[in-house]
This record gives sequence, structure tokens and C-alpha cells, in this order.
Amino acid sequence: MSDFILEATNISKRFGGLVAVKEASISVKRGDIVGLIGPNGAGKTTFFNMLSGFMPADTGEIFFKGKKINGMRPSNICKLGMTRTFQIVKPFPELTVLENVMIGAFNTTSSTTDAKKIAMEVLNLVGYASYADMSAGSLTVAGRKRVEVAKALATKPELMLLDEVLAGLTPTEMWSMIDVLGKVRDQGVTVLIVEHVMAVIMNLCDQVFVLNYGEKIAEGTPAEVSENPKVLEAYLGDDYGKPASGAN
Amino acid sequence: MGRSVGFAIYGVIGLICIGLPFFAESDVVVAVMPPGLSGSTLLHIGILIFLFGYLATSWNVLGGFCGQLSLGHAAFFAIGAYTSSLLYIHFGLTPWVGMLAGAAVAAVVGYGLGYVSFKYGLKGPFFALVTIAFAEILRLLMLYWDFTGGPLGLLIPLTEDSWSDMQFMAKEPYYYMAFGLMIFGILATAKIGSSRFGYYLRAIRESEEAAEALGIHSMRNKMHAAAISAAMTALGGTFYAQYTQYIVPDDVVKIALSIEIILFAVIGGSGLVMGPVVGAFILVPIGEMTRVIFSTAATGVSFVALVNSDIPAVEKFAKYLDYLASGGGGGLALLLYGAILIFVCLVMPRGVLPALKSLQSWGKKS
Amino acid sequence: MLTVYLQALISGLLIGGVFSLIAVGLTLTFGVMKIKNFAHGDFLIVGMYFAFFCHLLLGIDPYLSALLGIPLFFGLGWIIQNYLINPVLSAPETIKILITVGISLCLQNIAVFLFSPDFQRVQVEYGTATFDLFGASVSITRLIATSIAVFIVVALYIFLMKTSIGRAIRACAEERDGALAVGVNVDRIYLIALGIATSCVCIAGALMTPFYTISPTVGVSFTLTAFVVVVLGGLGNLKGALVGGFIIGVVESFGEILMPEAALKQVATFAIFILILLFRPNGLFGTKLA
Repeated sequence: MSDFILEATNISKRFGGLVAVKEASISVKRGDIVGLIGPNGAGKTTFFNMLSGFMPADTGEIFFKGKKINGMRPSNICKLGMTRTFQIVKPFPELTVLENVMIGAFNTTSSTTDAKKIAMEVLNLVGYASYADMSAGSLTVAGRKRVEVAKALATKPELMLLDEVLAGLTPTEMWSMIDVLGKVRDQGVTVLIVEHVMAVIMNLCDQVFVLNYGEKIAEGTPAEVSENPKVLEAYLGDDYGKPASGAN
Repeated sequence: MGRSVGFAIYGVIGLICIGLPFFAESDVVVAVMPPGLSGSTLLHIGILIFLFGYLATSWNVLGGFCGQLSLGHAAFFAIGAYTSSLLYIHFGLTPWVGMLAGAAVAAVVGYGLGYVSFKYGLKGPFFALVTIAFAEILRLLMLYWDFTGGPLGLLIPLTEDSWSDMQFMAKEPYYYMAFGLMIFGILATAKIGSSRFGYYLRAIRESEEAAEALGIHSMRNKMHAAAISAAMTALGGTFYAQYTQYIVPDDVVKIALSIEIILFAVIGGSGLVMGPVVGAFILVPIGEMTRVIFSTAATGVSFVALVNSDIPAVEKFAKYLDYLASGGGGGLALLLYGAILIFVCLVMPRGVLPALKSLQSWGKKS
Repeated sequence: MLTVYLQALISGLLIGGVFSLIAVGLTLTFGVMKIKNFAHGDFLIVGMYFAFFCHLLLGIDPYLSALLGIPLFFGLGWIIQNYLINPVLSAPETIKILITVGISLCLQNIAVFLFSPDFQRVQVEYGTATFDLFGASVSITRLIATSIAVFIVVALYIFLMKTSIGRAIRACAEERDGALAVGVNVDRIYLIALGIATSCVCIAGALMTPFYTISPTVGVSFTLTAFVVVVLGGLGNLKGALVGGFIIGVVESFGEILMPEAALKQVATFAIFILILLFRPNGLFGTKLA
């Protein structure tokens, strides 16, 4: 078995006439933090939705731990050990923070007591234990994002897909979230993170994939990718000397 | 602190309920209650409170915990009532077993209805419409089929007082059975609510996508909720059939019954274990008292006769006011229910119980 | 035998227009406010009792009452939207549904209280008049009701297409925030929309009185029928409601002769309803208002 925990080959998605993702491939090595970056509208979230089973891929194959997961329900994929967070966070607003995280914890246990214990451990890990009894609907954006990560972490995944958990945070909040992600990695969890804030990703990731207009335009270490002219062009557009004919 | 106060209040009310048959006819009760509201009438109201509390509790599993708005629960009630009654009439099967058969049939039907609806992604109002349509189809078929007795319904042959036939001359046994049913409903939903399944249902209610991402098979859990809710409702149907000993489609599958069930749950506080029961304890007495107080309505003058009568307009109007004062054509209980429902939707959309709780904690802070 | 089918077809078409008029009100509510009004059919009895009393007390013909009552019908919708529905527009879906259930209970039982649950009839001389068409009999009152109903639906369509209020209503239906941004008073448009919607149902109720029995609970089954028509024609689609009304009218009248018993006609309707909801949730004609 390869040391890649997640491998997707040539997956595409088309919405009517618009090709959102075009034959993109990705392979994520076990234990890494891998970044998936690209400008707005690059097809990152669509790509992500296909990887996590929320959207069927039109073409291509997705393997998780060597098992083909095309067409599987997200819940079954989660049972296999892969979970995700949402860009637009989806807390269970009427429930408390603790209950939110417990629902994730029930993935590996059917006992309420155990779930509560796991949830408290996770909340301690992400530094949010003092908010356990607050209702999730009353949290700030930063708080919701943290709960989102905690919920996912409580399922005890081997691979976590994080969709823009840093977007919309202040610099302080952002660095404390990055701290959390470091702890997640220390738990032995592989992380695939989507982000369009490039600077942060560069400090965090072992490997980076770059999407633009639905196509993978580069992959490599953060250093390699940041040298790649295609990437600079995609991010900087006409500043880099090319007319922005296709922008937006 | 707040929790133990709550338990104490429930405990006291529970004890009063248990003791009621012993003093329902006492002079004190007769003196305190409005005329006519004592003895067996009082027990009858108690039975209705417990039964509707139980039915609303059953609905709560699907509609409250899981957030799938069923407006057709009368269908499951009818399935329970008819299954046990038919088995009793034709095969002499005791209703104690018949009620389990009814629950099983209802569970299968609920599961199937859930499968079809959820497979095609029906949510909110569309699920509600399918459940209404399903209940209406069932009502029309029951009116038509011979084996269900058509519009004449089923009459359960009378026996003497008999536990095995679940038939009694007095109200007390029914009273305690209904009470037991309600307690069963509370315990069952409390158990569900604190289990993994209960957490899953609430997660699905709040966000199906997020639930799926956390490993929750949303469709399977929703179907289970539908089956359990249907089966529990069916048990109530059997009890009703044994209590009234006569069932007709227009009583047991009518839309109004489905709506009443929801009313109690929503007004009390849907999604909470005690919410539906609180709703029934508040609303049923209001409704029944209105019915008792204005019971003259049935014997009052005919409305059309009054309008058509050959008396001067002023006198006619005065007579009409008398007619309204004596309860008009009836309907006041349901009118009140409707008004309370609107009030709750506008003012305390989570129901009375959460409103009381926040009032209590607010009182403590200030 | 052929005559039986012809008769069924004609009867279906004759009630179809009334179904359309009722459904148009529901589809407008749906399209504009995104409210699923479970009290919709109950407004029927407002029109019915209005016509009943105008006839009984003042000797006014039901068709004239349908016209005279419009300010009352419109005002009722306006008030309900303003005081009951606008306040819950941002509430969870369940609350939006339940408040209309509450309104339904109130309307029905106010009628029971005031006018008793007894059945009433408006007795007009021409009530049973018919004429012969290829051997099938055509009821004059039903023909008038359906014709007026279709006329109103068409007029409403033109109103929505050609007038500035109509355009504002359509704008709210398509893009509420956009309409708000360009200065449309959305709340007020909603009041007008529910006013129009209730007027449609109430007029339908008044038009039906010469041939239909009045009772406080007749509205419920029409709520369901209206939902069937609206889902069939496409949620929020005006033309769909017009065509859907006739389709359901014909389906029911054929159901009446083809089902083993006339009362089962609605089983066919509800079965179609469930199938459409499951397999074609956008209806036959899509979900655009006009």
C-alpha cells in the first residue's frame, strides 16, 4: 500500500456549461499538512466537495486508504476515517458547544459518557473548554470555526479536510487557529486544508497544490510553489504582466 | 437548582394525577371546580390530557427531535386503532398483543413513508404535504374498504370488565392506563434524547450536511425516527379504540387530529422531552373547560332557524347575541387553540416550557 | 358510454377554473413571500359566508357579492400579512408553517362559533339551470363561475406584467434583496400580495355558492387541492396554476367515474400529488411567477 492516504486522479465537475474542476489530481501523504490553494473561484470548494463525497465527481477516481470512495455517502466516508469542515461553518446552533463536539465524538462510541469525555478532551486540545456550555449559535465567527474543527477532530479522523478555517479571522485569531492545526498534526492526523490566504499556508504546509480555473497548475513544497511563475501569475494577475482577460 | 425545582414540580403534579381518581368526586373538588367538572368528567379530561400528552410526545421524536414536520400523524393513530380492533373482532386477539401488532404495522408504514420521502429529498413543507396527503388517502380508503367498516367504522363487541380484553365499565382503569402510557412516552423519549440516536436526530434537525460530515447517516436515522414515532403513536390509537370502543375514519384519521397532536408539542416546546406533555397539560384543560362551560351550544336554537324567523330585526339580533353568549355554534376550544398557536409562534416560537425556563433564570439573575 | 366521459370532461373543466383561481392565490403567496399558506383554502369560507349573508339578509346576488366583497377580502389578507405573517418571515420554516395552521384553525372555528357547523345553501332561481351540449349537461352556474375565474386569473396575469405594482411584485418574487436595494417597499408589496391572494380565494368562494354547500370546514380540502394544483403547475408559477387547475378538475371528475366509488376521486389526486412531489418537484411548468 502506498504511503498516500488520499489519492484522486483526473476528477472533473461540470455545472451546465461551466467546468468548475477539470481533470485535477491530488495525492496526500500520511502525516502531512497539505494545502490546496488558488484564487477565488478556482474550484477549490467544488474539488473539496467531491473529495469528501458531498458532490459526485463526473470523471476520475478517488481513493482513501486504498479504497475507492466514489459514490459513497459522506457519513460512510467519515466512518472510514475522513471528515471535513465547511467554509460556511455549520454549527448545530441550538445545541451547546459540548454537544456539538459530542456529536462528532459519537462517530467512535455509542456511549454518551464516553462521547462527553472525548468531546472535553478535544475542547481542551483546541483551547475552548471554557465555552463548553455556551450555545453554539451565540459564538463569534472565530469561535464557530474553532467548534467546526473540534467537531471534526472528535470523530477521530485519520484525514481532515478543512475548508477555509482561517478566512475571516483577525491576525491574532488566525495564529491561534494555526497553533490548533499544529496540535492536530501532532495527534497524527493528516490535514488537507483549502485556503486562499497564501502567506499562512506557506508557513504551515508540507506540500501545496495550486488550482486555477479548475485546473491544477502547480504542486510541490511551499518554496517550490512560490517560485512557480504560473502561480504568481494566477495570484497576481495583470500585475505580473499578463492582461487579466479571464479574471472573474 | 433549576433542575431540581423542575423535578419537584413534575413530581407534585404526577402525584396529584395518581391520586385524582380517589378524590375526583369529593365535596372539595365539586365545590372548587366549575359545575359539571368533577367525578368521571374530570377523569375523562385527565385521560385526554395523558393521551394527547403521549401522542404529542410520540410525534416529538420525528417532528421535534429530528425536525421533520409530519402533519399526518393521525394516520399512524388510525393504523394502531384499526389493527388491534380488527384482530380482536375477527380473531379474538387480546388488544395487549394487538397493540404491538398495530405498532409494528405503523412502524413499517412510517419507515416506508420516510424512505420514499427522504430518498427524494423532501423537507419542511413538502414532507408535511406528503404526510397530509398520505393520511387523507388512508382516510378515504378506510371510508371505502369493507373490512374497516367503511364510514360506519368498527364497534368493539362489549364484554364484562376484563383486563385481558382491555375493557372496563369504569373510567379508573383507563385513567391509569393513559397515565402509564404517558409516563412510558416520557421515559422513552428521555432515553432517546440522551442516547447517541437522540443526539444524531438533533444534529440532523440543525444541519443535515454537517451531520453527514460527522459520520451520521442522515436518511437512515430519519427513517428510524419516523418508524419509532409512528409505532408509539399507534399504541395510543389502540388505547383510544379500547376506551371509546367505537372508531370511525372521520374521528381517527382526520386532519384536525394530526394538527392537535402537533399543537400540544409545539406550544409546550417541541424537541424537549417534557414540552409536549406541558403543552397537553395547558391546552387540554382549557379546551375541555370551554367545551363544558359552553355545552349548551348543542341544545341552542338553530342558527338558520333564527336568521329565518319572522321576528323584528332588533329582537333577532338580541337573540343572536344570546346565542353567541351560550357558545354560539361551538368551536371555541379549537378557536382558542388556534389563537394560542399564533401567539406562541409570534411571541415564544420555542414554546412555553423554554419560555418558563428563561423566565426562571431571568428571575434568579435580577 | 362516450357521453359519460364527455360529461366527466365537461364537469372537470367547469370546476377547473375555480380550482385555478384558488390555486393562483396560493401560488402567488408561495412565489412572492415563500410562505406555504396552510390556511389558504379556509379563506374560501369568508367569501362563501359573505355571499350567503348578502343573499339572505339583503337579497344580493352572489355574483354581485363577489364584486362587493373585494375590499373586505383584500383588507383581510392585508391585515393578516401585516400582523401575523410579516413578523415571522425570518423565523424558522416550521414556525412559518405553523402560524398559517393557527390561522386556519381560527378561521374555521370563528365560522363554527358565529354560524354553527351546519350546512348552508344559497338558494338562487337559476341554481340548477343547465343546457345541453352533445348530450352532456352543462351547469350554468358552474360555467359562469369558471368563466369569471379564468377572466380574473388572466386579468391578474396582465396586472403583474403591465403595471408598476405588478412589476414590483414580480421583482420581490425573484430577488427580494435586489428589490429592496432598488427601493421597493417589500413589506408593503407583501401586504398587497396576500391581499390579492385572499381576494382570489374569497371570490372563488362567493362564485361557488350557487352550486356548492357552505360549511366552516369546506376550506380544508380546498387547501389540499390548491397545493396539488400549485405543485403540479410549478411552485409560484401563475400559468402553471391556471393549467393545473383544469388538469386537476378533469382528473377528479374522471376519478369520480373510474374509481370504484366517487368518494375515492381524491385518492387519484393525492396519488398524483405525491408522485409529482417526489419525481418532479418543480412541477410541469417550472417555478417562475410569470
